[in-house]
Amino acid sequence: MIRMNKLSKVYRTHMIETHALRGIEIDVQPGEFVAVTGPSGSGKTTFLNIAGLLEEHTGGDYFLDGVNVTGLNDNQRSRLRNEKLGFIFQGFNLIPDLNLFDNVDVPLRYRGFNAAERRRRIEEALAQVGLSARIKHYPSELSGGQQQRVAIARALAGSPKVLLADEPTGNLDTQMARGVMELLEEINARGTTILMVTHDPELAARAARNVHIVDGLVTDFVRREAPSLVAVA
Amino acid sequence: MEVRPILSTLFRNKTAPLLIAAQVALTLAIVANSLYIIRERLASAARPTGLDEPNIGWINLSPVGEVADPKTMQEVDLNTLRAIPGVRSATWANMIPLSQSGWNSGGMSLKEGDNDSGINSAHYFSPGSLVDTFGLNLIAGRDFTADDVFDHDPEQGSALPKTVIISKALAEALLPNEADLGQLVGQQLFNATEAPVTIIGIVDRLQTPWSNEGADGEQSYILPIRYLVGSFQYAIRTEPGQLDRVMKEAADQLSTLRSDRVLNSQRTFAEIRASRYANETLMAGLLIAVTLFLLLITASGIVGLSSLWVNQRRKQIGVRRALGARRIDVIRYFLVENMLITSGGVLLGLLLTLALNQVLVRQMEVPRLPAEYVGFGMVIMWLLGVASVLGPALRAARVPPAVATRTV
Ligand SMILES: Nc1ncnc2c1ncn2[C@@H]1O[C@H](COP(=O)(O)OP(=O)(O)OP(=O)(O)O)[C@@H](O)[C@H]1O
Ligand SMILES: [Mg+2]
Repeated sequence: MIRMNKLSKVYRTHMIETHALRGIEIDVQPGEFVAVTGPSGSGKTTFLNIAGLLEEHTGGDYFLDGVNVTGLNDNQRSRLRNEKLGFIFQGFNLIPDLNLFDNVDVPLRYRGFNAAERRRRIEEALAQVGLSARIKHYPSELSGGQQQRVAIARALAGSPKVLLADEPTGNLDTQMARGVMELLEEINARGTTILMVTHDPELAARAARNVHIVDGLVTDFVRREAPSLVAVA
Repeated sequence: MEVRPILSTLFRNKTAPLLIAAQVALTLAIVANSLYIIRERLASAARPTGLDEPNIGWINLSPVGEVADPKTMQEVDLNTLRAIPGVRSATWANMIPLSQSGWNSGGMSLKEGDNDSGINSAHYFSPGSLVDTFGLNLIAGRDFTADDVFDHDPEQGSALPKTVIISKALAEALLPNEADLGQLVGQQLFNATEAPVTIIGIVDRLQTPWSNEGADGEQSYILPIRYLVGSFQYAIRTEPGQLDRVMKEAADQLSTLRSDRVLNSQRTFAEIRASRYANETLMAGLLIAVTLFLLLITASGIVGLSSLWVNQRRKQIGVRRALGARRIDVIRYFLVENMLITSGGVLLGLLLTLALNQVLVRQMEVPRLPAEYVGFGMVIMWLLGVASVLGPALRAARVPPAVATRTV
């Protein structure tokens, strides 16, 4: 689903060159739940942004769902993001002036679905995150956990192949974080590939696969049979 | 189109869009009305007089003391003028169009004693041919001959002429709704104060010295009179391109001819026209300046608000990009949003425009605003809106999608 070969990213600002990613090799299979961990500044967000086509890599190759995205133009990348990817952000990033219905509607409009199809998908996605009753509410009227659920509904409504989440629970207390994690696990169980950056070892431990990034390199990844089992080598 | 969500966003942040819409409305009202007034004034100032304007000059001298033999003096002056190379025709005349002062008669009619006809006419007279010297277009009948001309000394109350040439506008006023104006040739023309004269010709157009709006400004007649007073005013018509030189020579020669008079003025017809319409030109210029200034202010308002919104929504734009918006979608968002605000302003402005026009119609005798000026004003406002929002919208489209994850 996500395959990177010798993928690298160099940021060039003024005088400084930052080698944020230095030859990432990874192959994420469809349906996997991958937790990405690593120290601050190690390149996790960079990795996720490149995987999510929010930024372009500067070296190597990246295949998303079999498509080599190297050299695609901005419109093609936008279309791929819209059709294949769903995003969940640490800060929720709902649009404050739109109610839940319209927030979930945003990516669906870019997709070009007709009104009936969009309504069906919005209602279904909000039902899935348990917020059907709040469809006319505005984000400011919801708790953080609820807002993140709306963001998840927005990410899901377009039936993406991959869900990308950068510290989705970073702004939530433990209990709400657990709720969101459970929701992600449910979604993964229905077949959506998930890539999640987290600082929380407990949450990382619940993922079937952990990718550890240090200093721009995947230094360690561990596959285990069941999430309840022992610690990482 | 994403009109509904944009509208609901606008409704949740009403103040600034309302202010911009109000500004658009006000600008539209003022722009549409002043464009119309500008057009009216300039169109009025551009009306033809019926004269061969580029080749006509007007020269004016005042006697110092009593003039012994005005008839000889006129003849000598005219012979001098006609001898200047490049002069096509020259004659004495009592007045010239657009000069804003002159002679006028009332009670013009085809019937005797009909003093209340309400028809006025400018009262031109000349011993020569104004058809020739003004370059008028004779559309019926004939021009005067020397036989038509009567010497007239106002102090002696001498004989008056028996023939007259009238302008088409006067003919139409005398014979309303009549296609064949030629039938007037041969008829008697009466006025409130003088003996009747026979119409012998009709000229297509001869504006009055006051050049009022409408037909009134073109109702004129010409009498064949040699006016025996010491007033020296000559119309000169030159060959094309000779006017400036001829005027200079004419002034020189007339001044040196005798020492008992002074040169008052020597003006080309273009100068007469310019001074007649100086106010109109000034007013049009002022209105244009005010209009441009207003448009600039409104455009700045739109640019300012859009820029502010683009900056405030950087994060949101990044999120939209992450969710699949193409650059063009971001541009379209801002264009549509601006269109909605501008259109709100334009609709409001439509009412305001008509209201303002009402006031102008009543207070300033401005004619009612034609629909095309309102339409034109609306188009200008829409274009202004699009042009103003384009820069900020393009900037918005350059917000990278990574903003969604990179900034808090
Ligand atoms: N736009 C940029 N320009 C220059 N350098 C950048 C840019 N974005 C990130 N970097 C650098 O790239 C490296 C990796 O950053 P990244 O955000 O991927 O780290 P991270 O693992 O997500 O860190 P954190 O856990 O703190 O979020 C850092 O050294 C960072 O300073
Ligand atoms: Mg990060």
